[in-house]
Amino acid sequence: MMDITAWSAVSPYGVGVQHFAAGIRQQRPAMTWADPPRAGGHLVPGFDQRTVLGKKGTKGMDRMTGLAVVAVGHLTQACPEPGAALVLGTTSGSVQSSMAFTRASLTGERPFDVDPATIPSTVMNTPAGQCAIWHGITGPNTTIASGRASGLLGLSYARRLLRAGRARTVLCGAAEEYSPARSWLAAACAGPAGPAVLGEGAAVLRLEPEGAAGALATVLAVDSQLDTAPVVAGRALCQAGIAPGQVWAVVSGTRLERDSLTGMFGHDVLDRMPPVGELIGDTGAVSAVFQLTAALVVAAGQPGPRYVLVLSADPAGTTAVAILRVAA
Amino acid sequence: MPDFDPARWLRRTLPDELGRAAQFAAAAGRMAAADAGLTEADLGASRCHVCVGTTEGGAFELDQLTEAELINGPEALDGALARKVPAQSLSLAVARELGLTDVEAATIGTACAAGNYAIGDSFDAISTGDAEFALCGGADAVSRKTFTIFYRLGLVAPDQCRPFDTDRRGILTGEGAGVLLLESLDSALARDARIYAEVLGYGLNCDAHHSTAPQRESVARCMELALRDAGVKPDEVDLISAHGTGTRTNDVTEALAIRDVYADTVPRVISLKSMLGHAMGAASALGTVACALAITGRFIPPTINHRTTDPHCAIDCVPNTAVDADLRIVQNNGLAFGGNNAVVILGKYEGGYEVAP
Repeated sequence: MMDITAWSAVSPYGVGVQHFAAGIRQQRPAMTWADPPRAGGHLVPGFDQRTVLGKKGTKGMDRMTGLAVVAVGHLTQACPEPGAALVLGTTSGSVQSSMAFTRASLTGERPFDVDPATIPSTVMNTPAGQCAIWHGITGPNTTIASGRASGLLGLSYARRLLRAGRARTVLCGAAEEYSPARSWLAAACAGPAGPAVLGEGAAVLRLEPEGAAGALATVLAVDSQLDTAPVVAGRALCQAGIAPGQVWAVVSGTRLERDSLTGMFGHDVLDRMPPVGELIGDTGAVSAVFQLTAALVVAAGQPGPRYVLVLSADPAGTTAVAILRVAA
Repeated sequence: MPDFDPARWLRRTLPDELGRAAQFAAAAGRMAAADAGLTEADLGASRCHVCVGTTEGGAFELDQLTEAELINGPEALDGALARKVPAQSLSLAVARELGLTDVEAATIGTACAAGNYAIGDSFDAISTGDAEFALCGGADAVSRKTFTIFYRLGLVAPDQCRPFDTDRRGILTGEGAGVLLLESLDSALARDARIYAEVLGYGLNCDAHHSTAPQRESVARCMELALRDAGVKPDEVDLISAHGTGTRTNDVTEALAIRDVYADTVPRVISLKSMLGHAMGAASALGTVACALAITGRFIPPTINHRTTDPHCAIDCVPNTAVDADLRIVQNNGLAFGGNNAVVILGKYEGGYEVAP
């Protein structure tokens, strides 16, 4: 129903697809950096938005926007897409920027003693809007704020844009930053098992209608429900016309997600690769996009096309599944 | 909404478990389903789509967490409050309130055009067969953060919101939610539903120009995209519900863009924000709801607080008093920071629901 024709990744393995692909192929945990509230976090090594993008146009830019601008740029620099749609996932925007802004209002001499340069970084659609400005993308520009499932709900949204003819190409991805504020909020929300180690980054897929030249993979189905993983996976497989036995790999984000499908798939399929979050941390809104790009990496070197199931279950209730046929 | 009592509207979800914007969304979703004459069983038997647009998501709760952090430090943050922050809680609240499980529940965070984005996506979900029923719109709660942003940018009016007025001084912040129920015409006819209006089409684009200043050419282009999608010519449009924030920049840029598209056939152009304030992510959803009510009620809502129309805007904004009108096609504009534009076109359904003026 639609093809993935390119991808980019700015991940805890480094800036660029080659670093992500190498880390995933080796199933190597990314480097851990100090994280005050807990054990550590997986940050994009050496990433600083003002160093990477330069001083011009980056005053007050938050880390999340910087990650998104770089990841989208990797695709548009290779192939300019002025009329493309851009669909970017987020959880709550940059909570670090929002909390700092409100703190300034509360502690300043006057409640409006805040830095206007930081205002855009407190608004959720700024990463998408800034990507459009930096890379001249004037098509539909949408921020999908659906937490961990954003990557797969973004695929579903992108499919509608393509079907309805609102764009011929969709750049679809997500960005999430590591920050002390996000870390403290995650710690507050965590259950008795404690919070996951956080990760960060941005990843973007280029989507085109099925039949595109040089397609890396075809998205055969995307489904989401407020239901259990087996129910959603079962229907997605049905929509894709694939039997469970044909699935070569399940790419999950967490152990909990992987274990939710033990009744449906054998260990060889479930353990083809570790849950991506075990390697790069909980990357929030970008977690499902990193799972999709990991699926492209692990299945790409195989002797024939492989069917891969990508599962994302947001703790808030959404379960989403995509079925890919990855080209050899 | 100082007197909003969520317990009056919510039946399944517990008010304490929802953030303020999620309460607005869930209450509006409950009201929309009831107004459509659909029970939980009706909706539960069908594939549904829930799409809620928002500027701020759980910013109201994030402000409270920031305040608590200042007093007690970050180690003592309240987990129950922190779980209300992520924006997906708005669409999930609608789905949960109606007991839906077979539903794609997405939140769109495209700032002050998000309501129209959600309506557009739901229009596509229905027309491409992804869902049989869609509950869509927008929700936001006023927060310290939001008010401070607009105030610091010099965009808050000292007294009243006066869109298109020579003396306009800015917005007044507002809050709330608007939710519409969309279904295919076949479905509506088969169940003898009350049809307020038809969604004829919509348009989306991005200025790719500036984070806060709208761009005339791009706003015009978005209106052209919407008209083409709806199969409508400019001279067929009877009313434009403008984004019309009442700021110096927005109103003149939007009015000029309208003139670029409509030339000498500019219809009447009103701003509901004169009455409602700027409810951010809910604003364009409330605008689309008002357009549907205008069609069924055969009237044009006024632009209130109006004294003298700015000659640079040069539009008939229906000052201060509603007028009777037989509206066939109505356009609703939503423009957002980030240069995100979304325009929805509604049409009268002949034989649909009507209210005597």
